Amino acid sequence: MKRHGSRGRWMALAVVALFLTATTAWSADTIVLGTAISQTGQYAREGKFYVDAYQITVDAINKAGGIKVAGKTYNLELKMYDDQSDPNLSARLFTRLVTSDKINLLLGPYSSGITIPASSVSEKYEVPMIQGGGASGQIFSRGYKYIFGTLPKAEFYFQSVVEAAVKMDPPVKTAALLYSNEAFDRSVGEGTRQWLKEQKVEKVYDEEYQPATQDFTSILAVIKSKNPDLILLAGHEENTLNFIRQAQASDVSPKMWVFTVGPPTGDFRKTLGKAAEYVCGVTPWLENMEIGGEVFRSAREFGKQFKERFGYEADYHVASGAADVLAYKFAIEKANSLDPKKVRDALASLDVETLYGRVKFDETGQIAMGQVLIQIQDGKLVPVYAAGKFVGKPMYPMPKWSQRK
Amino acid sequence: MLILQVLINGILLGGLYGIMAMGMSLIYGVMRIVNITHGALIMLGAYITFWTFTLWGWDPFLSLPVTILLLFLYGYLLQRFILNLIVRAQMYLTLLITFGIEVVMVNLARILWSSDLRQVTPSYTAANFSVAGLTIPYVRLWVFVTTIMLSVLFLLLLERTRLGRAIRATAEELRAARLTGIPVGHVYAVTFGLGAALAGAAGAMWGMLFPMTPIMGRPLTLKSFVVAVLGGLGTMMGPIVGGVALGLAESFTSTFIGPTYPNAISFGLLVLILIFRPTGVLGRRER
Repeated sequence: MKRHGSRGRWMALAVVALFLTATTAWSADTIVLGTAISQTGQYAREGKFYVDAYQITVDAINKAGGIKVAGKTYNLELKMYDDQSDPNLSARLFTRLVTSDKINLLLGPYSSGITIPASSVSEKYEVPMIQGGGASGQIFSRGYKYIFGTLPKAEFYFQSVVEAAVKMDPPVKTAALLYSNEAFDRSVGEGTRQWLKEQKVEKVYDEEYQPATQDFTSILAVIKSKNPDLILLAGHEENTLNFIRQAQASDVSPKMWVFTVGPPTGDFRKTLGKAAEYVCGVTPWLENMEIGGEVFRSAREFGKQFKERFGYEADYHVASGAADVLAYKFAIEKANSLDPKKVRDALASLDVETLYGRVKFDETGQIAMGQVLIQIQDGKLVPVYAAGKFVGKPMYPMPKWSQRK
Repeated sequence: MLILQVLINGILLGGLYGIMAMGMSLIYGVMRIVNITHGALIMLGAYITFWTFTLWGWDPFLSLPVTILLLFLYGYLLQRFILNLIVRAQMYLTLLITFGIEVVMVNLARILWSSDLRQVTPSYTAANFSVAGLTIPYVRLWVFVTTIMLSVLFLLLLERTRLGRAIRATAEELRAARLTGIPVGHVYAVTFGLGAALAGAAGAMWGMLFPMTPIMGRPLTLKSFVVAVLGGLGTMMGPIVGGVALGLAESFTSTFIGPTYPNAISFGLLVLILIFRPTGVLGRRER
């Protein structure tokens, strides 16, 4: 009897719970942004930047009064899955978000390799996807109408770097180029080859490597024997860390070296310690750049709020993720509709200032934005070269390892 | 000169590959378990080194005995209370269970320590010396020397002690071993403990050379397996031979063919070995 009673109570609870969830679903005026992003697996680390960026921006928009469409106020809500860093799973999850979860709009995953299949889902169902984690040209070269990206073109990553390198004193004459054989890094490599040729820098080493590579000592031995002025590496943060640490152990130090991923993050500097000095990187965004817009008044304010909430520094991944959510706010209000097609058209002609900079997409859907060359000096990120001119003083040439303090 | 440098790089790294695979080879040789947990044990060894270094400032080489002891205990308990229950079942069951334990360990590590990249960086991390134009990093050299010392100790243990004889007897003829009064359950647990301890030692040293994450072990399980099979799965010196062979193959491929090819070459090597010498370089035909 007692058993029966307790079961009855549970049933009642369940019914109430069901009713409650059902009513919230009916009454709440929410716009659901769906995404699948890597929370486990190979990309768990970078994936977390986007999870946190999406969350803080959604909360900030809701707190600032939500989004107004046709005189009605909506709150934003996130529907998020973990793609386990698996492109196949990602495509399945995005299909589920569109077909059975009935989300309104899509936010992208992390990494070009995963974004390529994921964007095909958005195109197929004609639901826009704004993504801040894939910059490879392959994402945007297929004539898709529903994909938008807020990371600058991979091919342009090292443009400002090479431009700055030949203006150094003494100018860079030879370069070694190394890039992983992933979609994004290959695009960086292809672009860089062109910039080197344009600036008449001799290429003494040009190789692809596997992103899972841990041991760079043999690659370093070859590079050392060619003695280049400049080393350019396009790869993941782990590759960069291994490369620099092993270069130190193998006593390799060019006049200047630049890495696509790593230098802008606080963790990178912490992990490498003194070896991070003089390391150059590129970033579309820095917390101390004078930019801002609605919701987050300035990059600095965003950075401060982010650090308070999540305990680590925001880098350009985070700012790019935040810009994705903001772009939807502006586009929905501009379209004054939740219709995916109308939101898509509003995105295509969007031109707004945000904490991330000016968000304006070109005809392929990718943001039109350049890169800033930065250098780590005394543990701080210093912008060195942007938009065709020096904006800070580079520490060049980099001293040999044995001459460092 | 470049060739010599690449040769040295390959050999130094090969030693580490060797000790990494030794535990896997031992466990397979004695119990016929393909231990999927192997990489997670390597990861655990790396993290123990990281935490003793970061929290208490222990030198990573000096904390090695602690890591070995902890991993031995962990491995012993794992075998005694879980794996012994299914050790004589079909191969896929042991595969499944060790896989399950691996998933639990990796995810626990992720929850406890996050996915952040961690590095052990003692003051001598990047110290090196030059001989005749060759650059040799101290850490890699010490890792290599430690590897050789550990494998010699381990071989002595197997060849010269009562325990070692019991382990070899159990591996060779289970029923006879049981009849002579060898406590097989205990011997199995000790064997797994030794395997885990070797994996932990390899992890500790891996963590001195490369950054660590909770998922670092997955490719290393595979690598250990390749190395063990190359040298002869179940043999004692095989893994060292296989390790150095793989280290050399990787360095030379990366230098002279291209850095995208080391995996293709090492797995190609594995296929060739399986075709022409299925028992590995040092392996004997099973009776």
